[in-house]
Amino acid sequence: MSSEGDRVALLQGTLDLIVLRALSTMGPLHAYALASRLAQVSEHPLSLNQGTLYPALIRLEQKGWIKGAWQKTENNRDAKFYAITKAGARALTRQTARWRRLASLVDTLLLEPGP
Amino acid sequence: MTTVRRALLRLLAVFRGGRAEADLAREIEAHLQLLEDTFVARGLPADEARLAARRAFGGVEQAKEHQRDTRSFRWLDDSWLDLKLGARMLVKYPGLALVGGMGMAVAIAIGAGFFAVSYSYVYPTLPLDEGDRVVAIEHWDTGAQRQEFRSLHDFVLWRDQLRSLTDLGAFRTIRRNLIVPGGPAEPVTIAEMTASGFTLARVPALVGRPLVESDERADAPAVVVLGHEMWRTRFASDASVVGRDIRLGDTVHTVVGVMPERFTFPVTHRLWVPLRADPSEYERREGPAIRVFARLAHGATREQAHAELAAIGQRAAAAFPTTHEQLRPRLVPYTSIYGVISSGGMDGWQLQWQLHLMQFFVSLILVLVGANVAILVYARTATRLGELTVRTALGATRRRIVAQLFLEALVLAALAAAVGLLLAHIGVMHLSAALSDAGDLPFWIEPGLSAGVFVYAAGLAILAAVLAGVVPALQATGRRLRPALLHLGSSTGLHLGRTWTVLIVVQVALAVAVLPEIVFTGWEWVRAGLATPGFAAEKFLTSGVEMDREIPSRAGADAYEREFASRFGDHLTDLVRRLEAEPGVSHVTFASRLPGDEATARVEINHGAHLTPSSPGGSVADVLTADVRLLHVDAHFFDAFDVPLLTGRRLARRDADSGAAAGDAAAAGRGAIVNRAFVQRVLLDMNPLGLEVRLVGHDRESAPDRTVAGWHAIVGVVEDFPTHRLKPEATLYLPASPGQIHPVMLAVRMRAAAPATLADRLRNIATSLDPTVRVHEVLPLDEVYRQGEQRIVRLGVVTIAAVTLSVLLLSAAGIYALMSFTVARRRREIGIRAALGADPRHILASIVSRAFWQLASGVVIGLTAAALLETASDGGLMDGHARVVLPVVAAIVLTVGVLAACGPARRGLRVQPIDALREP
Repeated sequence: MSSEGDRVALLQGTLDLIVLRALSTMGPLHAYALASRLAQVSEHPLSLNQGTLYPALIRLEQKGWIKGAWQKTENNRDAKFYAITKAGARALTRQTARWRRLASLVDTLLLEPGP
Repeated sequence: MTTVRRALLRLLAVFRGGRAEADLAREIEAHLQLLEDTFVARGLPADEARLAARRAFGGVEQAKEHQRDTRSFRWLDDSWLDLKLGARMLVKYPGLALVGGMGMAVAIAIGAGFFAVSYSYVYPTLPLDEGDRVVAIEHWDTGAQRQEFRSLHDFVLWRDQLRSLTDLGAFRTIRRNLIVPGGPAEPVTIAEMTASGFTLARVPALVGRPLVESDERADAPAVVVLGHEMWRTRFASDASVVGRDIRLGDTVHTVVGVMPERFTFPVTHRLWVPLRADPSEYERREGPAIRVFARLAHGATREQAHAELAAIGQRAAAAFPTTHEQLRPRLVPYTSIYGVISSGGMDGWQLQWQLHLMQFFVSLILVLVGANVAILVYARTATRLGELTVRTALGATRRRIVAQLFLEALVLAALAAAVGLLLAHIGVMHLSAALSDAGDLPFWIEPGLSAGVFVYAAGLAILAAVLAGVVPALQATGRRLRPALLHLGSSTGLHLGRTWTVLIVVQVALAVAVLPEIVFTGWEWVRAGLATPGFAAEKFLTSGVEMDREIPSRAGADAYEREFASRFGDHLTDLVRRLEAEPGVSHVTFASRLPGDEATARVEINHGAHLTPSSPGGSVADVLTADVRLLHVDAHFFDAFDVPLLTGRRLARRDADSGAAAGDAAAAGRGAIVNRAFVQRVLLDMNPLGLEVRLVGHDRESAPDRTVAGWHAIVGVVEDFPTHRLKPEATLYLPASPGQIHPVMLAVRMRAAAPATLADRLRNIATSLDPTVRVHEVLPLDEVYRQGEQRIVRLGVVTIAAVTLSVLLLSAAGIYALMSFTVARRRREIGIRAALGADPRHILASIVSRAFWQLASGVVIGLTAAALLETASDGGLMDGHARVVLPVVAAIVLTVGVLAACGPARRGLRVQPIDALREP
C-alpha cells in the first residue's frame, strides 16, 4: 500500500484517456482486469478506488468509444469485457495529441526560469 | 455528436433503468468474484478472501450510486420514480386522493374559470390587423360621472382636427324589419356606420364593395352591405346579389357588397348602412348616441393622441362652456365599447387592480383547500414515517425527501388541475351560452380557455402541491425525524403540533362562518331553480313590439313624439284587437317589460294625511323615497296573468291618464297597484290604500329632483308574482294605455298551450299594420324563463353546491385524519389502560376529547363570526333566517365531525393490550 504522499490524484478526464489506452494496447478487458492493469503499470501510486472505474466505463460506452459484452474469463467466470471501438480509437488519437500538447505546455511553464 | 448521443442515452436510461441496474449489479458481483479468486490464489481461506475482496473494492452501493449518476440524469430519474410513486399513492390512499383531489379540482376550476372569463373580457386582443392600435374615444361627463354618447358635433371636430388618429369613424346600432320580396319580415340589427369602419378593419368585401365615403352624403342612394350569414341564408350565397333591393323598415336599400364570414365589426353586426347623421340638424349634446372609433396613425403613440385629444377637449370646453365645460374626451381601448365591463370612469389601472385583487381572493380558495389537503397529507406522512427514516438513514437528504413528497402531491394536484380545467371549460361554455342568449358576443371574445388559463391552472397546481406536499414534508422531516428512528415501526415520532391544531380550529371556524351564507344562498338558488313562476307560463306567447323611431331635431321634437306615440298607440290597439280575434286566444295584454324582468326605479311615497297643492313635494317627514321595481301595465294585465288581488280594486283604463298633482291623485282617479312585498318592505305594513306614489327616476342613480311623472294613488295590492325569483321584489305597477310606453312586451294568453303557429301569425299581423312595427323575441313565456338568467342560476347552483360539498368533505377528512392520528399515537397508552381494566367509555372519551375540543372551539368561533357578520349586514346576508340557518349548519358540522371521529375511535377501542404492549 502506498502512502498518502505518493498517491497521484487523477486529473478530471484523464481516466477516460487511460482506460482507452489500456484497451487499445491490451485488447478487451473486464473492469477488474482494467483496475489491476492500472495499478500494475503505475506500480501502485495510481491508487484507484475500484468503484470509480464504473462511471468512466458507462460514460465511454454511452459515447460509443467502447463496447461491453459478457464473456467467460480464463477461470470460467462471467465478466463484462470492454473493447475499444473504431470511434474510440479515433478519439484516443485525438485525446492523446491533446494531452501531449497540454503536457508540453505545462512543462514549458514549469521549466521557465523564475524571476 | 458524441455529446448528443450520450445525452439521449442518459435520457433513455431514466425510463429504462431496470435492465441497466441488473447489468451493473451482475458486473460488480463478477468483479468481486474475480477479486476473491485472486485472494484465494494468494492463499487466503474462502471466508477471509470474500471479506478482503469487499474491502479492496470499497463501497459497493457508493460505486453503484456513482455509476447511476453518470448513466442517467439523476434528478430526472428520481423525479420519474417519485411521480410513479405518487401515482401509486393515489391508488393506495383513495380517500385522500378523492377528497383532496376534488377539493383542489373545485378550487382550480373556480380560479381558472374566473381567470378565463375576466381576462377574455378585460384583456381581449382585437383580432384585426394591428388590432392593438385600434382605439375608441369616450366622452366623459365629469359632473354626471357617465359617458356622453350624443357627440355628433364633437365627432366631426375630432375627425377634422386629430392628426395622430386615422380612419376615425362612428357607428350606432339600429333595428329594422328586413323585408325581402317573397320572404317574411325579420327584425335585424344594423350598424349605421361611417365608411371608415371598413378601412379601419382592413377587411375587403367578399362580393362587391364595402361602404364608401360618398355613401354618407344625404343625397346619395340608400345602400346596404350584407353580412356573410345573411347572404347565405336569405340570398342562397347568390353572387349576383349586388344591385338587388331590400327593404329595411320603410326604406328601400340597394345591396352593394357582402362581407366575409366572421366579419362582425364594429361589435356583433351583420348588416351595414352608412351613418348619415348631420350635426347641423342637432344642437350640441343632442341627436343620436354614437360610438367613435379610430386607428393610431402610423408612427403616432397613444400618448400623443391622448394629448391631442385633451387639447381639443379643452378648446371645446372654453368655446362651449354651457354644454362642454364638464366633458372630457379620452382614448380608451376599443374593446371597452362592449358594455359587459364598462370602465365606469375608472382608469385602466384601477380596473386592472380591482381585477387582480379579485383574482387574488379567488386564488385564496385554493390556498384554503391546499391547507386542508396539507393536514391530510401530513397525517398520511405520519404513517410513512418508517419509510422516510430508513431513506434518511440510507443517505437521502432532507431536500430529497421533501422533493419526493412534493412530487407526490404534484401528481394529485396535476390530476385535480386537469379535472378543474374540464369543469372550468364546461362552466365558461355555459356562461358564454347564457350571455349569447342575451345577445351575440362581440367578435373579439372567444369563449373557452386560452393558453394563459392553462398556465394559470398549472401555477395553481404547483401552488397546491407546495402547500399540500412541501409544508407537511418540512414539518415531518424537521428535527423530530432523528428521534423517530428510535421508535421505528410505531407512529409515535410525529406530533400534530400547535400549527396543525390551530389550522384545524381555524378551518372548522371558517366552515361554520362561511357555510351558513353558502347554504342559505345555495338553498335560495336551488329554490329559484326549482320554483315555478306561479302561473301557467306555457300558455303565454310573448313578444317585444316596437316601432322604428327617428331622432328628431330639437325644433320638431315635441310634434314628432306626439305623432309617434299616437301612431304606435293605434298600431298596438289594432294588434291587440286582431290577436284577440284569433282562435284559442283568451287574453291579450301588454306591459313595459315581462313580469320578472321589471326595471328598477326610484319612487316617492306621500304618506302624509293630506298634502296641499301649494306644497307639491310634501314635507320631508311625509315623503318616503324608495328604490323599487317598476312595471307599466295595461289595465287587463293582472287578469291575464291570474294575479290575485289582495285588497282594493283593479286598474281601469282611466287610471292610465297622466299623473295628477299631489293630494289630487285619488280624486282624479289615477290609480296604481303595488305588490305584497312593496307593502311589507317599503310601507312597513302601513295600509297602502290611498297613499300617493310617484316616479322620480328611472334608475337608482337618478337625482330625485328630476321629476318625471305626476302622483298616482295606490288603489290595490296584488300577490307577489312571478314566484320563481330569489325573493319577491317590492314592485310598483303603473297603468299605461297604448302609446304611453314604447317599446312594449306583448303577452298573448291561450286557452291551451300556445301553438307554434301563433308566432308566425303575430309577425304577419304586425308587419301588415306597418313595415316599421317590429316584433322580436316571439317566444313562449316558459321558454323565456328557462333561458338566460335560468342558465346562470343553474351554473351558480352547481358551483355553490360543489364548493359546499368540498368544504364539508375536507373538514370531515381533516377531523378524521386528526382522530386517526391521535388514536395511532396513543395505542400504547390505550393498551395499558385497557389491560388495567379501564372502562372502554372512559378510554373513548379520552381519545376523542382533543378532537371534540378542537371541533367545539371551531364551531363556537365560527358561529360568533357568522352572527357578527349577520348583525353587521343588518340581517341582509341571510335575510333574517340566521336563527334557523346557524344552528342547522352547526349541527351539520358537528355531525360530520362526530361521524369522522367514529371510525378511528372504534379502532382505538379495539386495540388489544397484548399487541399494543408488544410494540417497541
